[in-house]
Amino acid sequence: MIATIQPAAPLLILALTVTILLAAIAIKRSFAGSVAITALGLIAAVASIPWAMHGNSPFMASLFSFTPDSLGFAGLTLLAALVTLVLAADYLAPGIPVPREEYPLLLLLSTLGAVALITSASFITLFLGMETMSLAMIGMIAYPRFRPGAEEAGLKYLVLSGMSSAIVLFGIGLVELATGHLQLATAVATGTVSPILLAALALIGVGAGFKLAVVPFHIWVPDVYAGAPAPTAGFVAVIPKIAVLAVIVRVMAMPGATLSPATVTAISSVAILSMLIGNLLALMQENIKRIMGYSSIAHLGYVLVALLAASAIGRAGVVFYLVTYTITVIGAFAVIGVLSRAAAARDLDQVAEFQGLFWERPFLATIMTLVLLSLAGIPPAIGFIAKMYIMAAGVNADLRILTGTLVVSSIIGLFYYLRIILVMSQKPLERAAIPGGTLAIPMTGWLAMSAVGALIVGFGIDPESLIAMLKLVFG
Amino acid sequence: MILVWLLVVPFLGGLLAWPSGRVHPVLPRVISFAALLLELGLLLPLLHGTAPASLIAPGHWLATFNAPWIPAFGISFRLDLDGLSWLLIVLTVVIGLFSVVVSWREIDENVGFFHANLMWSLAGSIGVFLALDLFLFFFFWEVMLVPMYFVIAIWGHENRRRAAIKFFLFTQGSGLLMLLSILALAFLHDQQTGTLTFDYFKLLENQPTGTFGYLIMLGFFIAFLVKLPSFPVHTWLPETHTEAPTAGSVILASILLKTAAYGLLRFAVPLFVAASHQIAPIAMGLGVISIFYGAILAYGQNDLKKLVAYSSISHMGFVLVGIYTFNAIAWQGVVILMIAHGISTGALFITVGSIQKRLHTRDLGQMGGLWTDLPRLSSFGAFFILASMGLPGLGNFVGEFLILRGAYAVAPTAAIIAAIGLIPAALYSLIAIQRAFHGEASTTRSFPDFGLRETAMMLALGAAIIALGIYPQPVLNVAAPGLANLTPTNTTAALPVMRTGT
Repeated sequence: MIATIQPAAPLLILALTVTILLAAIAIKRSFAGSVAITALGLIAAVASIPWAMHGNSPFMASLFSFTPDSLGFAGLTLLAALVTLVLAADYLAPGIPVPREEYPLLLLLSTLGAVALITSASFITLFLGMETMSLAMIGMIAYPRFRPGAEEAGLKYLVLSGMSSAIVLFGIGLVELATGHLQLATAVATGTVSPILLAALALIGVGAGFKLAVVPFHIWVPDVYAGAPAPTAGFVAVIPKIAVLAVIVRVMAMPGATLSPATVTAISSVAILSMLIGNLLALMQENIKRIMGYSSIAHLGYVLVALLAASAIGRAGVVFYLVTYTITVIGAFAVIGVLSRAAAARDLDQVAEFQGLFWERPFLATIMTLVLLSLAGIPPAIGFIAKMYIMAAGVNADLRILTGTLVVSSIIGLFYYLRIILVMSQKPLERAAIPGGTLAIPMTGWLAMSAVGALIVGFGIDPESLIAMLKLVFG
Repeated sequence: MILVWLLVVPFLGGLLAWPSGRVHPVLPRVISFAALLLELGLLLPLLHGTAPASLIAPGHWLATFNAPWIPAFGISFRLDLDGLSWLLIVLTVVIGLFSVVVSWREIDENVGFFHANLMWSLAGSIGVFLALDLFLFFFFWEVMLVPMYFVIAIWGHENRRRAAIKFFLFTQGSGLLMLLSILALAFLHDQQTGTLTFDYFKLLENQPTGTFGYLIMLGFFIAFLVKLPSFPVHTWLPETHTEAPTAGSVILASILLKTAAYGLLRFAVPLFVAASHQIAPIAMGLGVISIFYGAILAYGQNDLKKLVAYSSISHMGFVLVGIYTFNAIAWQGVVILMIAHGISTGALFITVGSIQKRLHTRDLGQMGGLWTDLPRLSSFGAFFILASMGLPGLGNFVGEFLILRGAYAVAPTAAIIAAIGLIPAALYSLIAIQRAFHGEASTTRSFPDFGLRETAMMLALGAAIIALGIYPQPVLNVAAPGLANLTPTNTTAALPVMRTGT
């Protein structure tokens, strides 16, 4: 019995935790209890992953595919969710006019959806996972509903997410029509490209594009990031992207998966536009969350370059970049998060408000600097190795235009990353304008920060340890 | 292993200096100074060492270190020291010592973090001079930028933000081109031999040829040209120099510019012998233009610091011409000029910094008559301006003379035009002396002249430049085996003509 469900352990643990949490909230409301149960569930799920990888029973093989690489991506998601939870627990300080217990529940549900999406083997689980992930996320975005910005962001995400789900569903329908199957593997293996399948691919691609937030499906990004509370913004910036890319990477490795020249052109254009537009629009922003939004668009463009390289090094590059992206983006929102509280009218997210951070809170400023250096791809941060990976994949596959665009847009990107560092290094205007005021940063916040900083520098200086680990999991 | 310590000592020094600033503002200075002295102590005995022959590739190497770093990409942590890198590292450490001393009074805010950045940028440059794995080299190339950026952005003058960003964008942007080239080179090697490696000596064996080889070479060439800097990619330099604090300017001019010349000598030329010969006329042309352009613009400056900055462009033009003559004599001249320029320009920036501290201006129009008020400062200033102009008997003259001598054997036209470039050099130098130090003082001033600390510093630098001018042979002796490493036998075979000076 145990051996049968062994590969599905993380998913089942998450589902079980959701149930327990629901019951717990019904019996007695306690934010600390909620957080504790969620944290335990997430930790148990993460801990079960190595064990699950050793399982070899085809558990619900028609619906789920618990391969080592999908479990690896699931692990990344779970860890990101755990850090988000730690940050949110501090961020949702008492004193807000809404109950706080449901936030961990929504986070757990969304993570469950993401894990289901990552491990899906059929379009049914894929769609269910995606919807669970997105719907719970809407709740997380609009959680401080007394903030007009959060409400607006939630609504925006609801409308656009609903629309993209409809488009994906339509595409799934067409796949069923053309192949008679809902299995991912069979649909991919069909091979014969009929107009219907092409249309289906395009529709599903649009849906994926929305979740990945690449140009031209990126319009929602800055508004949603800026409106969402900081921990949620980090979650939204990371989780759906891991999940969708995990599926894409897995599908591309399936037999029969070849990219037609037209598809390659389409993805290349999306990549080029994302890199350039993301970085160019970020230049004009005054809000760090919006900057992070645009920057994430550009970074997904970089990932697409590695994806297009369609080689072993490209695949490794995608995975490495995703890990890097997760660490750094969570880190960036963590810095904003520990300096903000849900009870305030808005987060501390204006670039100008970070002036003097270096002098008043040197540790936070150092972490933020490392995050920004990593995003800009400058050693000794891990982002440098990640960018090298992408460039290596591009050069190796001789993708000259894409690699050239990558270089140009990276240089554009330097402007706005450096500007934030500069602002932080300036003297504070007056004592009263200290970033975050007298806000005390709790122990858990420090821990999360230190972990992010250690990972950025540690893997930046010794990338081999991460490469070896990823190789073990993702092959 | 000692080579690793050469990197660790300044890095740890910086790491220690940062928090120590909170205890007492003098601690970071003392720690940095001590760390650099220790570094010098480690470095000097290395000159007489030889690395075990089994460990090293062809050539004359003083020490070596090799350990895997990112085996997945064939990237190793490979450090090698030869005469050339030894000289440049000694220059780095010595200039680093002077930077600490010169900041003693100038920097009084966040002393700890300043010295941390200072030490880290020195560590980065030392890494650049040591690394012989191309990826590792690039890593250090980038690492030395970030602390320098902070030095300019935080402790610089009025327009420091703009200058810092400009500095970073130019160097980082061109650096990415070099990264592309490094990757292309490694993958090309992978295709031809089946092993992915970034090891300098392995990549040397497989010279890329044809248009593709030329393109790969261009990536290196452009990155080094920006950093050198040469016309037309020099525009970051005057602004950066002007806005940087004195120690920053000194490190920039004396060390960071040398990393570019070193890069050309060590990587751009030996890795792409054929392509380098192909581009030599263009490179020499740019060098000659830089000589004149820098000199003429220096002549037109009212800001003394900018004048020194433009003169750097002019001097680096000589270096560029010298490198692309592929001539043994000219290369010796390049080494001497690099060191002499490092010393004389460093000293000039210290002088300008001292003037600015006293007069609160760098405007030549408001100087004049300084000789009466500040005789010691003025005489040292005049001495180093003359040295930088190339006065015979001083170091720069030897360098320029050897370069021109070598270039004449190979490219007489370029040599003649470059030599004419010495005339505008004399013009801007003499004008600078006249406007700053001679004439009537515009206002009555009373400032303290150079104190003991500054006089001692200047005397040491002056002695070095005189020694280099009168008896450069020891330096040449150290450099010679290093320069020989740059033309290994297997690559000379690929050469059309490897000219030797006559």
